[in-house]
Amino acid sequence: MKSVKGSSWKLTEAQLREWLRGLLEENHVVAPVEEDGVVLFRRIASADDAIVEASGKTRWSPKEFLFPRTEALYRYTFAGGAVQIEDPPVPEKHQVLFAVRSCDASGLVRLDEIFLSGTKDLLYAARRENTSVVTAACAAADPECFCTAVGYSPVGEEGSDVQLVPLDGVWLLRALTDKGQALVGDGGEGWKKATAADGKTLPAIEKKVAGQIDRGPVNQEWSQVLEDGFEHGAWDRLAQHCLGCSVCAYVCPSCSCFDMNHQGNAWCGEQCRSWDACTFPLFTHHASGHNPRATKQQRYRQRVLHKFAFREEGDQPFRCVGCGRCVAQCPAGLDIVNTVAAAVEAMREEGVDAAG
Amino acid sequence: MTEAIVTVKHGQAGSAPEGWRPHIVALVCNWCSYAGADMAGTTRLEYPANVRMLRFPCTGRMSPLMILRAFEQGADGVLVSGCHPGDCHYVQGNLVARRRFTIFRSLMDFIGIDLKRLHFAWVSAAEGHKWAKVVGEVTAAVQEAGPLPAFEHPEGWDGLDLPAMAGSGPQELEQKQLDAICGNLRKAASEVLSTGRASVVVGYGQGTLAGQTRPVFITDADACDTLVWGQGCRNNLSTYVASELEGRERVAVVAKTCDLGAISGLIREGQIRRDQVLVIGVQCPGVIDGSALATKCLSCSGDPHPICDLVVTVDGVQESCEDPSRAALDTPDARDEQIAYLESLPHGERWKYWQRQFARCLRCYACRAACPMCYCSSCIAEKHRPQWVPTSIDNPGNSTWNIIRAVHLAGRCSGCDECARVCPADIRLDLINRKLALEVEKQYGKVGLDPEEKSALVDFRMEDSEEFIL
Repeated sequence: MKSVKGSSWKLTEAQLREWLRGLLEENHVVAPVEEDGVVLFRRIASADDAIVEASGKTRWSPKEFLFPRTEALYRYTFAGGAVQIEDPPVPEKHQVLFAVRSCDASGLVRLDEIFLSGTKDLLYAARRENTSVVTAACAAADPECFCTAVGYSPVGEEGSDVQLVPLDGVWLLRALTDKGQALVGDGGEGWKKATAADGKTLPAIEKKVAGQIDRGPVNQEWSQVLEDGFEHGAWDRLAQHCLGCSVCAYVCPSCSCFDMNHQGNAWCGEQCRSWDACTFPLFTHHASGHNPRATKQQRYRQRVLHKFAFREEGDQPFRCVGCGRCVAQCPAGLDIVNTVAAAVEAMREEGVDAAG
Repeated sequence: MTEAIVTVKHGQAGSAPEGWRPHIVALVCNWCSYAGADMAGTTRLEYPANVRMLRFPCTGRMSPLMILRAFEQGADGVLVSGCHPGDCHYVQGNLVARRRFTIFRSLMDFIGIDLKRLHFAWVSAAEGHKWAKVVGEVTAAVQEAGPLPAFEHPEGWDGLDLPAMAGSGPQELEQKQLDAICGNLRKAASEVLSTGRASVVVGYGQGTLAGQTRPVFITDADACDTLVWGQGCRNNLSTYVASELEGRERVAVVAKTCDLGAISGLIREGQIRRDQVLVIGVQCPGVIDGSALATKCLSCSGDPHPICDLVVTVDGVQESCEDPSRAALDTPDARDEQIAYLESLPHGERWKYWQRQFARCLRCYACRAACPMCYCSSCIAEKHRPQWVPTSIDNPGNSTWNIIRAVHLAGRCSGCDECARVCPADIRLDLINRKLALEVEKQYGKVGLDPEEKSALVDFRMEDSEEFIL
C-alpha cells in the first residue's frame, strides 16, 4: 500500500490509551492481550487490556482476524421440504488491528496477494476492506527475529495505516494512509505535533535492531538455486528431524493454506473453510490414495520453497517476513533461515541435482 | 461447529428456562439394554420420553468419542447402557468398556462436565423395569443439571490462579560437570557406532537459539563430538526410534529418565523390540521450559535408570544390567496440588478454565507429532467417514480433539510432557495427562517401566470397581 503523507504526532502513554479508548467506541479493536501467560491477539473490551510495548511479539500472528481459523462460507437448513441457503453474516463494525508488528502487517499484505489477486475471495475482501491496521514498530529484536535478513524492517510501513514508533518514553504516531488518517482525525487533546527530527529517528532504530539480528541475509538469487535444487539430497537430511506438525504454518503471518469441509446433520449444516498446512500429509492426499508429497521432507521443502522461491517475478518480496515464530516454536528446533542457507550451500558445492 | 448446526442452543448451566426439558442420548448394546428397553415398551411401562437411543453391537464398541459427539451436537446428558458383567455376548466387551468409561468419566468430571449428565447402567434383556427406572433417574438428574454449558471462550472471565508448583529438581550440576557428562556421552556414542552395537545414534545437537537443541542422527563415529548435553535437551528422542529403524537393525537413543517410559511403552505395545534399541541413559540436570525448570523435573532426581543399556554420568560410562522389572518410577508430582485445587472448584469454573484453554488450540497437532506414544499412521482426527473429530478450529472441535487425545493415551502416557512443551497455546495438557495417570493408578495400579507389564486399559478384572454404574 502506497504511503501517503498524513499527520504525525507525539503521544504520551496516557494519550495513546485515550486514543485507543476512543477507537473502541466506533470499532471492534483487536490487540495483544495476555491470557494464561500467553500473549495473543483478541478483540478487547477495554483499552487497558491491550499490551502495547516497544518490543516483543504475540505467540502467533493476527492473520486469523482476516483469514479466520474456521469460517462458514454458507449455511443451509432443510425446512418444510425446501432448502434454504444463508450467506455468512456481513461484518457490522469496522475492525482495527492494534499494535501489530511490522512483520505481521507485511504478512497480511502477503495474504492479500493470495486472496485478492486474480479472482478475489469475497469474504476475505470484505473483511480486509473493513479493517485498518495500526502497527507498532520494534525498538528491539527478540532472539528469534530475523526480519532484516529477509528484506523486511522493524520499522517497515508496508500494510500499515497508522504506525506507532516507540521513542524515549513517548510514541511517535504517523498516519500513513487515508484509512489511517480517518482513525487519527485531527489528533487528540494535548497531542504534540511531531517534528521533522522525530521522523528521522526511524533509520536509527532500524539500524540498531538490525545490529541485534545476528543472521546472514537470504539473497534474492538463492530462489533460483533452491528451485533448481528441488531434487537435491540435502532436503532429506535437513528435515530429518521434522515431526510433521503444523506449528510453523499456523503461527506464521503469511501461511495461507486452507481446507474445505462440510459439517451438518439431518436438519442444517454449513460449508466451512478451515486452516490447513502443507506440512500435513492429508493436505495433498489424492482420493486415489496417491500422495505427490509423500514424505515429511517433501512437505517441509514445499513450505520452505513457498516462502523463498516460486516467485513470479524476481523482485517480489519473500513470503517469509522474518518474525521468527516458526524458529522459536518448532518442537524439533528446525530453523528456516539455516535450512535455506545450508541447502543453497550444498547445492552450490555439490551441484543442484546431487544426491547429497 | 457453530450453533446453526446444533438443534439445541447451549445455555448457562443451571439457568434452565421455564418448561425446559433435557435432550438425552442413550448408547445401548444390542443384546441386553436395547432388548431391555423393548421389554419396557412391551410391558407398557411409562417413563420419560427425553431419551434418544442409539444401538451398538456392544458397550465395548462404544468409543468415548461417541459420547463427546453427543454433547457436542447438543445433548444435555448421555446414558451408556449394556449387559451385566458376565453376560456380554462377546464375553468381555463390557469388562474392557467398564475400565474405559471409568477413566473417561473422571476426565469429563475434571474438565467440568457435571457427572449428573453422564450415566452408565447395566440393564439386561429381562430388566424392562430397571430400564424404565434408570431412564427416570437419569432424566431427573439431567433436568437438575440444566442445559449443557456452551462450548465457547468464556468472555470477560478472569481466569484461575493455580497453586504454585514446588520441588527441588535434580541435583544441580556445574558447567564443568555437564562438560564431563557430555564428554562421556560422546565417548559412549562413538564406541557404540565404532563397535557396531548400533548403526545410528539419535541424540541432541546444537540448536539455533540460545539454550535450544535439535535432534541429530549420527552414523559416523567421528561426528559424535557434535552431540551436546544440558538443560536445553528437551525432546523425547524415542519419537524417532521407529522411523530410524527403517533399514537398520539397531538404533541407539540418548535418553533422559523421563524419556524411558515411552521406550518401555513402545516395546510393550509391539512398536519396537527390546533388542532393536540401545538406550543410552544420561545423568540429567533437568530441562528448562520457557525460563524455568520444566514441571516434570521438579520431582525427578535426574539419575539414569536401570532399564538403560548404557549409563552415562559425571564419573563415566557403565553397562547397566539391573533387572528392569524392579524398576518403577516414583510418582509424586508437583502438579498434584493443582489438580486437587481444580477438583475443589465447581464444574462451571472448571469448564471455563478448560474452554478458555481449548479456545486457543490451533489444531496444529504438535501435541500428537511430538508424542512418542502417538504412533498411529492414521489418526482418528483424520478419519472423515464420518468426521468424528470436527476439523473446524473452534471450541466444540478443539474440545473433542484435546479430550480424545488424552483418552487415547490414558494408561499409556509416559508422562514425558512433550505435548505440553510443544503446544504453542500453552494448553495444560500435562494436567490432563497427569489426572488420567492418577485415576488409572488409583483404580488399576501403577504401570512401571517393565515392558512386560500390560497397559491398564487393554486389560480387565472381573472385580474391577463399578460404583458409578447404575
